[in-house]
Amino acid sequence: MKTIIQLYLANLKEYRRERMEIFWTLAFPILFMLLFGIIFSGNGNTTFDVGIANQDQGSAGAGLIQAFQGVSVFKVTTGNESTLMSSLKKGDLTVLLVIPPNMTASIAADKASNVAVYYDPTNQTTPQVVLPIVSQVVQGFNQGLTHQPALVVVTPKTVTAANLREIDFLLPGILAMSLMQLGLFATANVLVQLRQQQVLRRLGATPLPRSMLLISQVLFRLTIGLLQAAAIILVGVWFFNVHILGNPIILVGIVLFGSLMFIALGYLISGLARTQESSAAITNLINFPMMILSGIFFPLTLMPNWIRPLVDAMPLTYLADLLRRVMINSTPVFPLTTDVGVLAGWLVVCSLLALRFFRWE
Amino acid sequence: MQAIEVENLKKYYGKIRAVDGISLSIGQGEVFALLGPNGAGKTTTIEIIEGLRLPDSGIVNVLGLDVIRQPRQVKSRIGIQLQNTALFQRLTVAEVLELFRTFYPGQTRNSRELIDLVDLGEKKDTQSRELSGGQRQRLSVALALVNYPEIVFLDEPTTGLDPQARRSLWDTIRQIQKSGASVLLTTHYMEEAQELCDRVAIIDSGTVIAMDTPGNLIQQNFNETIIEFNTAGSRPLDGIFHGLAGLTRPEMVKDHHVTLYTANTVATLGSLMNLSERGEIHFDTLNVRVATLEDVFLKLTGKTIRD
Ligand SMILES: Nc1ncnc2c1ncn2[C@@H]1O[C@H](COP(=O)(O)OP(=O)(O)OP(=O)(O)O)[C@@H](O)[C@H]1O
Ligand SMILES: [Mg+2]
Repeated sequence: MKTIIQLYLANLKEYRRERMEIFWTLAFPILFMLLFGIIFSGNGNTTFDVGIANQDQGSAGAGLIQAFQGVSVFKVTTGNESTLMSSLKKGDLTVLLVIPPNMTASIAADKASNVAVYYDPTNQTTPQVVLPIVSQVVQGFNQGLTHQPALVVVTPKTVTAANLREIDFLLPGILAMSLMQLGLFATANVLVQLRQQQVLRRLGATPLPRSMLLISQVLFRLTIGLLQAAAIILVGVWFFNVHILGNPIILVGIVLFGSLMFIALGYLISGLARTQESSAAITNLINFPMMILSGIFFPLTLMPNWIRPLVDAMPLTYLADLLRRVMINSTPVFPLTTDVGVLAGWLVVCSLLALRFFRWE
Repeated sequence: MQAIEVENLKKYYGKIRAVDGISLSIGQGEVFALLGPNGAGKTTTIEIIEGLRLPDSGIVNVLGLDVIRQPRQVKSRIGIQLQNTALFQRLTVAEVLELFRTFYPGQTRNSRELIDLVDLGEKKDTQSRELSGGQRQRLSVALALVNYPEIVFLDEPTTGLDPQARRSLWDTIRQIQKSGASVLLTTHYMEEAQELCDRVAIIDSGTVIAMDTPGNLIQQNFNETIIEFNTAGSRPLDGIFHGLAGLTRPEMVKDHHVTLYTANTVATLGSLMNLSERGEIHFDTLNVRVATLEDVFLKLTGKTIRD
């Protein structure tokens, strides 16, 4: 135990003395956060422009419009479909709803009618915030129709979600991304370097059990993961007014869980890569698609179908989803069990393979 | 019990026979050197004995323990200096030493004593990445002494050291020996081996070609005197020394450097002077001396040590 602590402290000491490492693991995510924060928190408005083209002549269409006007974060514009469609395309509207003709009549005849919702999928918040509210409103409206005792109510959970801005979505994503990079760059590449410099070999020449070395290194990297999380969250809270909801203990747990998973991946890569060059190539090859495709900067709905299997296999997709769910209470893309299950699967597989392929020299 | 007992050790890397049937027996308190040209298999041999590499076949007993079966017990009782020194780049000398102390279960030397042993007092608060090559080498030697080892393994410990640091390391090695520990080292400096070692083994292509005390090796190989000189001018020297008085074996010529072996120094020198007077040869420097371990090495391996 004493040895593990000493090794752990030695790691921290070395870390503190290396400016480049501090830059990549702490300053870089903070800069990233600041940059994106400035880009995306520009107007800071929290209302969404909703266009409604009502083609129904009866009471149902008017009632639905009223229901939408009752949502505080929606600014409703009515008009004809083609005018509103062009405003949507210009970006003046966030969503456009088209109420079909004869909806009142259909309802009277107990037939379903389709309200079409148009939106721009490149806008990150629409699918995650606006669409859920829209469906809530429609659902409430339905309940009113079937004479259950329900007015048009927006539940508090959705009100919270309604305050979400781009930056709120980005923060958990950037955190997930830097935990991934901790595993790739600060684990895989560093270990290959230690192996090439024969540091691991020198330690292997002492009676130090290798498990102790491994434990101290993993503990050290988990510490860095927590530092990264703290730095990114503080930047978000201080500079961009991001509200972190959710249980902090659960959040810490997820940060550790996610870091551990990517650290295991890092160990696996370090076992497979023979030289520093090949390890740098592998880590970049993994880093880039994960950054682009995991729904951190671009919403998953934007991904073409053929690439979905890849997106669905990538652990970062689930870590980002999990962090978003906990940190900002957004509507998750996957069920909780899927998020946790896929990450746990990656963790187990990477750990086993890492142990199998790990080399000291 | 011998400190180290090695029997018929073999280690092949593909077609390369790095170690090809080496047997050694090193006593307690003995200072023993492995000598041999680059690639002879010294490092491979020493690292197999340390338990850092596995042999293809052979028996390795260290302090009565089987290294292959009980590597950790062995490692806690020996001290190892690796040929390629590797350290914690951003820790200071004192910090690295303190850290290594925690790796050993038994008694350890404190870092001040270690720093004194290798003369690194001025550098104790310097990060190891800022040390010079020789200082790093000395730190690496200090790391081999942390646990009061019963056997110290030093792979080219004096390579890269200035003459003063080398002599001070010799003192350290003698001190280690006085404390009762054995030392197994490799070196490319023959005068160092001659100075320090009780016995040496000369290795070539993975096999032991000679093993004895330096004195015995010299006596067995040379009961003659050596005459060395440089020739000036570009005249070919082929056959010129043939039949020269007193020579015991063919001359060795390398570029303009000539080495002659003679049983009759006066006669050989006399006929050399004759050659010179007849203008067949021009001396630059002339040196008459007794044989050294280096001569034995050259004779047995057929090459200079740093070829
Ligand atoms: N890990 C390895 N893989 C392949 N070949 C190796 C390996 N280690 C050593 N060799 C080969 O085995 C031979 C002996 O190498 P070794 O390092 O033992 O020589 P050495 O006597 O220590 O040489 P030097 O004086 O240069 O240190 C060399 O030909 C070397 O190329
Ligand atoms: Mg060597």
